[in-house]
Amino acid sequence: MIQLIGVTKTVRSGTEDLTILSDVSIEIPEGQFVALTGASGSGKSTLLGLIAGLDAPSSGRISIDGDDITAMSEDGLAEIRSAKIGFVFQSFHLIPSLTAFENVLIPMEIRGIRDAGDRAAELLRDVDLTDRGHHYPAELSGGEQQRVAIARAFANHPKILLADEPTGNLDSKNGQHIFELMTGLHNQRAVTLVLVTHDHALAAEAQRQVILKDGRVESDVMSDG
Amino acid sequence: MRFILNLTRREIRSSWRRLLFFFLCIALGVGSVVALRSLIQNLTRAVGTDARALMTADVDISSTNDFTPTEISKIEAAVAESGIVDGRNETINTSSMARPSDPANAHVKLIELKGIEPPFPLVGDFVLDDGTPFDFSLLANNGAVVAKILLEDLNVQVGDKIHIGEGEFQIRGVFDEEPGGTGGFRLGARVFVEKKAFDDAGITRNAGRVRRRILYRTTDNPTELVGKLRESLKGTTLTVQSYRETQENLGEQFARTENYLSLTGLLILVLGGVGVWNVARAFVEQKRKSVAVLKCLGAGGGRIITVYLLQILTLGFLGSLFGVVLAQLALLFVRWRFVDALPAKMTYAVNFSTVVQGVTLGVLISLLFSALPLLQVRNIKPKLLLRDENNASIRRLDFTKWLFGALSLLGLLGLAVWQAGSVKVGAFFLGGLGATTAVLYLTALVLTRLLRRFRNIGPFALSQAVNSLYRPGNQTRIILLAVGLGAFVVLAVQSLQTNLVREFDFTRNQRLPSLFFVDIQKSQVEDIAKLIESHIGEKAETIPTVRARISHVNGEPFDFAQRETRQQQGQIGREFAVTYRAEMDNNESLLSGRWWNAEPGDVPEVSVEKEMAGILKISPGDSMTFDISGRKITARVANIRKLDLRNTRTAFVFVFRPGALEKAPQTFAATILKRTSATDRQRLQRDTLEAYPNVQIFDVADIVATVQRLVSNFVMAISFVGSFVILSGILILIGSIALTKSQRIYENAILKTLGAKRLTLTAILFAEYGLLGLLSGLIGDGFATILSYVVSRYVLNINWEFDPLLGVGGILVTALIVMIVGAAASFDVLFRKPLSTLRSQ
Repeated sequence: MIQLIGVTKTVRSGTEDLTILSDVSIEIPEGQFVALTGASGSGKSTLLGLIAGLDAPSSGRISIDGDDITAMSEDGLAEIRSAKIGFVFQSFHLIPSLTAFENVLIPMEIRGIRDAGDRAAELLRDVDLTDRGHHYPAELSGGEQQRVAIARAFANHPKILLADEPTGNLDSKNGQHIFELMTGLHNQRAVTLVLVTHDHALAAEAQRQVILKDGRVESDVMSDG
Repeated sequence: MRFILNLTRREIRSSWRRLLFFFLCIALGVGSVVALRSLIQNLTRAVGTDARALMTADVDISSTNDFTPTEISKIEAAVAESGIVDGRNETINTSSMARPSDPANAHVKLIELKGIEPPFPLVGDFVLDDGTPFDFSLLANNGAVVAKILLEDLNVQVGDKIHIGEGEFQIRGVFDEEPGGTGGFRLGARVFVEKKAFDDAGITRNAGRVRRRILYRTTDNPTELVGKLRESLKGTTLTVQSYRETQENLGEQFARTENYLSLTGLLILVLGGVGVWNVARAFVEQKRKSVAVLKCLGAGGGRIITVYLLQILTLGFLGSLFGVVLAQLALLFVRWRFVDALPAKMTYAVNFSTVVQGVTLGVLISLLFSALPLLQVRNIKPKLLLRDENNASIRRLDFTKWLFGALSLLGLLGLAVWQAGSVKVGAFFLGGLGATTAVLYLTALVLTRLLRRFRNIGPFALSQAVNSLYRPGNQTRIILLAVGLGAFVVLAVQSLQTNLVREFDFTRNQRLPSLFFVDIQKSQVEDIAKLIESHIGEKAETIPTVRARISHVNGEPFDFAQRETRQQQGQIGREFAVTYRAEMDNNESLLSGRWWNAEPGDVPEVSVEKEMAGILKISPGDSMTFDISGRKITARVANIRKLDLRNTRTAFVFVFRPGALEKAPQTFAATILKRTSATDRQRLQRDTLEAYPNVQIFDVADIVATVQRLVSNFVMAISFVGSFVILSGILILIGSIALTKSQRIYENAILKTLGAKRLTLTAILFAEYGLLGLLSGLIGDGFATILSYVVSRYVLNINWEFDPLLGVGGILVTALIVMIVGAAASFDVLFRKPLSTLRSQ
């Protein structure tokens, strides 16, 4: 369960304070697929980053499975991310110096899991990249890089998958493929999926749609399906 | 741990190219330390490890006079009492003139003659050129064994006869290295003859500069014997030395030299460290996103720093090993270039202990200089994956960084102290380096500020180039500092060389004689003057000289049992050539006391040169007792005098007031100023020696050539080390270019989008590095000129002249090197497509 209570995020822009999120309160039960939408600058990515503990809110509280992550140290947050959260970025953010296989292996090695090679190979197979494991990110297409990122996100069996416009840098065919891959894994493994997207069609597939405007929740509706 | 090791391995695999400069910076520094230390250690081993072999004995008693019967009986009593002596011989040596007996052969040469008696040597080996051991029978019936170089000097062969003094000797053997020989500075080639033949050749009859030695081999530690000998010979002019003291002195000298040279190595290593610092900064900058991803995946800052630290240490270690390879190559270069100037026994392999030391230094420098940049990893936030904010906080200096900065500085001090072998020298080194850096940095700051005023003047490419020097995160001052320092070292050495060589160019110094005649007997003065005049038309100036040793100062003899006094033995215990005259020479000036008038005074008076007065701690009014051929003369110090060595014919440390020395045994020296051809000089020498074989003649051209060769080797050696400094500077330059490359790529993409052609961008690139090089050259050359002036005028006491060719050439060559290196390292930037660059921003 993800809980946000009165979360506000203000950043300094030049000489002025800029409020990106203002008094946001959301509760996301376990296993739910939530789409976060809104115009550019509405605060979607910031909200996702705050849930992942990549940044701290200026005020308010965020808890994951009852643990208040706003009070945690950097290392405590890293531990939470390693154990419970998978993240997929719009720009993939693979480590360029590692092969696809090694990129998938890294989260497990960080957790100290031994003999993670088989699991990395299995994850690559799940995303249809069995033959591309020895390639470096620069040698892969955008779609392939994002599949590697998804395999990496699932490496430590996360309970939560956070995806920040994962199809934003891909063509429609590859975008559809990635989306299906994520929702398929969400269904198979019953993970909570929070997807930030501009694409209304993709958002409509989610169980719940939260629309942000100027840093506030404009609407929060459950899908018909 | 597994994660750390795995990631380290993978990072090295993919990043080693980017860290190649890091690797090279360390390699260059470690290479310098290992090469310099190994070189001096090998040299120590070749010449100084075995002081017994160097002395060819365990105890050495020497005198410049004949040993008196009293002295001999005192020595023998002490020796007999000790009961540890199992071998004894005597030697006698002096410089003399040799000329072939063949009248058709006009060569003549100054030699170092040594008369020996069996068993010789008491300690060590004497092997001839053909590999056979030296046999005393070779010297029987006026035989001579000579250094190989003499055959060339005199154009003679084994079996030929040569004249030395009044004697004629047959060359029976040739050697490369004599027992106890060091291959060091020596004016003439060594010639061994029988001691008895030496005496018979009439050389000792009139000549000064003769040193007689009694040498002993002992079966036990000779320290006690030496103490007793010193005690019983107190008040005489004999000096007693044991091989243990020689060993101690040599050991100290070599250790000091090794430590000072190692500081030069450390300087290069510290410059390498600056390179490491730059590369580590660039590396962390480039790895920001990877670090953020790793943090996003759950890795803590400490673990990531450990990964990069391990990577740096591994590369530091490998770089150090490569440095060892470079050091070995440098030693091979030294053998190829300097083999003639170095001892034959010298080895040219790096030493294991220096390798361990170099590698340790390399790894520690890697650690010290990369710690601060790596600490930035702590401040990289994973949120930059969502929004790449200007990470202003990364540049902030917090408490941890201050702490690590201070620890790094302390570590560096520790390394300097370790390398210098002294806290004082180590601290002085670091302080000096800090001060030099600060001065160069401030100059760089002022110059760049000044240049900024002209950024809107001149063509577009030039004003863009000036602007480029101020781009965010620019490395302008670091580059100016590093390259400027390299140029400074090399140009300072070159400028000093130019001035030194000019000083020794006797065609410019009209007061420097071309020929020196010494040991002329009073009865020969007029005849020799006539001979000289008939040959070259110049009336030679003749000066009386008396050989004297200092016996007492203010009534006290020197106490050579005292370590400090013993260390000055070479300066104060030697025999001096003194003179007497009524007037001061025009190259002399009084510092204190009064000069005398021409009439003899009531008591003998002496004028003392200021350096010697400093060593002896005397001032006008003090008394000095001299031993002149066994007779003691006590003189009052009348004045202290300064000698201008730049403008001199002769340089006497002690000058007496007329009246005291006229009756003492004396010889005369004659000097000739006229420049004549080598053939004329040789003919004059030959004719003089035919008639007056006791006279010795120094051809100044020979001495100048020897000194110039030494200076040239010395300069070559320093320039060799200096080139390492330049190379370090260039590595720093390349590292700095890498640091600002992304900024340059971005600027170029924008300029291309705005319509700039590749030619314009190329012009900007060349102009930028040309300017950087010009400024570096100006800084380096400016300070090199100042240093060269100060060292020339106040340390070497020689004339200094600005060499415009070196000055302007130095600046231009520096500018050219920086321009070529900078442009070459950035050239690929010109070929990037702007769209992909702008998209990725």
